[in-house]
Amino acid sequence: MTALLDLPPYDVDAAHKTPLLQAALGELTQHHYQQCQAFKQLINGQWPQFNADNAPSIGDLPFVNVRLFKELRLQSIGDDEVFKVLQSSGTTGKPSKIMLDSAAAALQSRTLVKIMQHWLGKQRLPMLILDHPSVIKDRRNFSARGAGIQGLSFLGRNHCYALKDDMSLDIEAISEFCDKFADTPVLLFGFTFMVWQFVVQQLAHQQQRFQLPQGILIHSGGWKKLADQAVDNFNFKQGVLTTLGVSRVHNFYGMVEQVGAIFVECEHGHLHCPSYADILIRRPGSWQLADKGEIGVLQLLSALPRSYPGHSILAEDRGRWLGDDDCPCGRMGRYFEVLGRLPKAEVRGCSDTFGQGGNL
Amino acid sequence: MSLQVLTPMLVQPTLTKAFAEPSLAFCYALSEAIFADPRSRQFADLAALAFWLRKANIQRLIAPYQQDNLLYKPLGLVFHNTPANVDSLFVYSGILSLLMGNRNIIRLSSRAGGSAMVLVEILTSLADSYPEQVSRLQLVQCEHHAAELSAISAMADARVLWGSDVAIKALRAFDCPAHCRDLVFNHKLSLVVLDASALIAADEQDFVALLDNFCRDNLTFAQQACSSAKVVVWVGNQAQVLRAQQRFWPAFASKALIVREPLTDAEHFDALARAQQLLIQDPSAKSLTICEPMVRVAVEQLTAEQVKLNSGNGLFLELITPELAQLTPMLRHCHQTVSWWGLDPQLVDDWFQGVLIGIDRLVPVGEALMFDHLWDGHDLVLSLSRVTRNKLAKCS
Repeated sequence: MTALLDLPPYDVDAAHKTPLLQAALGELTQHHYQQCQAFKQLINGQWPQFNADNAPSIGDLPFVNVRLFKELRLQSIGDDEVFKVLQSSGTTGKPSKIMLDSAAAALQSRTLVKIMQHWLGKQRLPMLILDHPSVIKDRRNFSARGAGIQGLSFLGRNHCYALKDDMSLDIEAISEFCDKFADTPVLLFGFTFMVWQFVVQQLAHQQQRFQLPQGILIHSGGWKKLADQAVDNFNFKQGVLTTLGVSRVHNFYGMVEQVGAIFVECEHGHLHCPSYADILIRRPGSWQLADKGEIGVLQLLSALPRSYPGHSILAEDRGRWLGDDDCPCGRMGRYFEVLGRLPKAEVRGCSDTFGQGGNL
Repeated sequence: MSLQVLTPMLVQPTLTKAFAEPSLAFCYALSEAIFADPRSRQFADLAALAFWLRKANIQRLIAPYQQDNLLYKPLGLVFHNTPANVDSLFVYSGILSLLMGNRNIIRLSSRAGGSAMVLVEILTSLADSYPEQVSRLQLVQCEHHAAELSAISAMADARVLWGSDVAIKALRAFDCPAHCRDLVFNHKLSLVVLDASALIAADEQDFVALLDNFCRDNLTFAQQACSSAKVVVWVGNQAQVLRAQQRFWPAFASKALIVREPLTDAEHFDALARAQQLLIQDPSAKSLTICEPMVRVAVEQLTAEQVKLNSGNGLFLELITPELAQLTPMLRHCHQTVSWWGLDPQLVDDWFQGVLIGIDRLVPVGEALMFDHLWDGHDLVLSLSRVTRNKLAKCS
């Protein structure tokens, strides 16, 4: 397992990765079974035949529906070991609560750094944060946005926030940043919707343009709000290029329930699994594995989560698996696309009174 | 959103006599108008409503109340609250209240849509021909905390409250006159009882009929109707039940996949999430089996967690009991309809007579969704009127 986590993120092909990941995930399943009573009840109820000692294949691993992290406090550590509680942004309904001990927090940020260094290089780059400074204020209860910014801040230096607390552009700060670092590689980071709404659109509206030709924008957080405005990845990249002069743009997919081993978009627009993580697609209803290319629900696997049973999660997102080890970008591992959140289940009618007109 | 009035009020609404001819004529006209609207074919609830409003059915329904010696008088202003998840539910209690001569204000949720909006259009189209009746059936839409609701409640002579437990508690907190009566229809959970040995022995024809009826009761609205069963109670010993399950579920699953509109991906996801949560939170939940398009969870008891967590969408809880008597102590007030199949009717009847807590309704499988004016323990006709004696009491 240690060996797996020490591997570079995108150099390991399936033949080498599968046995390592399988062993790591089997061991984690066993670990959580012993340490988390709720997880144990779930396994006993849904996977009574499960036996970690038989090195189950990845497709046979139990998975936890992501919604359980909103409804229950799931942890494999004692209350006194909780070092940090991560929370999802929870725009709708209850937020997820993810319990990390200090080892988990360290492993998660170390892995995140390792993955991001692949895209950014080992040097810490001057960093323009496309958000406002107070988003990271509460250190005990991080919002997903705060945690994301906090996590990625390690990769930068000379941090500069592009927005003021009232969400208006801090033109002065951005200008100063651009003047200073126009000729060097810089890192820009923000949440997809925030980048679009409060930076790209505001700059366009004010007819302001900046030039960061060596900039790399990393962004995440989902496309739903942008899809509502009919903005796709192409429009997004165009907007970023026009207003900020940044042509290297990488989206990443990840969630607070599985921080650390994130899935970054390559130059060909594909999300890539790092060595420490994988994805499966399941068919809703039968929950059997789907074939390559088939749209289904994403199951996320990660060798990281040890303090809470989040190593195998059924996400509430739809997606499609596109290939393994053969992306034209040359990176090894599985690559895929995310096709948005499952629509909310509609309450179709308590319909106490809905008859069938059957008294014929 | 503040209060919006959805239907026209062409005349000032006034109370009328119970079962007045023009009120009855309005019901029949509404029935015909719904049948004539092509959209009634898209919405199963509208077709059922139109069927219920037919003259033959309404006459049958009111006949027992038209006795010489009793006289029914209106209550006055009746406020109806309908929950967000129910589209045309309001019409049943609304129409019965209209027939009793009351003036009605019916609140649709701000999220109401679909067939409710079709009904608003149909009612509006009837306003010219039936101005008096349409004005007594006034539909409004607002948030459940709107200030106008408090004002309506303060004038109400009765309140008909359909909704979640939380919504009902919030609505009952509004002030109302001392004489105001509340009719409450809160969150409920229903059961279906199947006899294992009868199921094993059933011939193909009976078995197929059972599958059809079970499908209609429990999958029509993605199992979300209060009267759709969320719990399957198998009567028999373990071995019999196992055989019955082996015959029933695969057959039902393939039928459900072919006949019914399939559950949406989000509904499947929800069912699985709830099932997993039950395994963790409900100590009586023992195992989970995926049987596309259903999720089955074996339970050993009926519990409060099941009532809270099972929102349908194809999630069936299964309980095995050697006989019905063992079920009785597990029943709670929230257990509403028992639909049953395969048992000796006399046995079922005897059992039901002895049930003192829970179960408002006992119907054969296939009739779970049929509206009855006896609902959740209320007689809606009686409850929406004042019953008086018709003839002068004789002096002795």
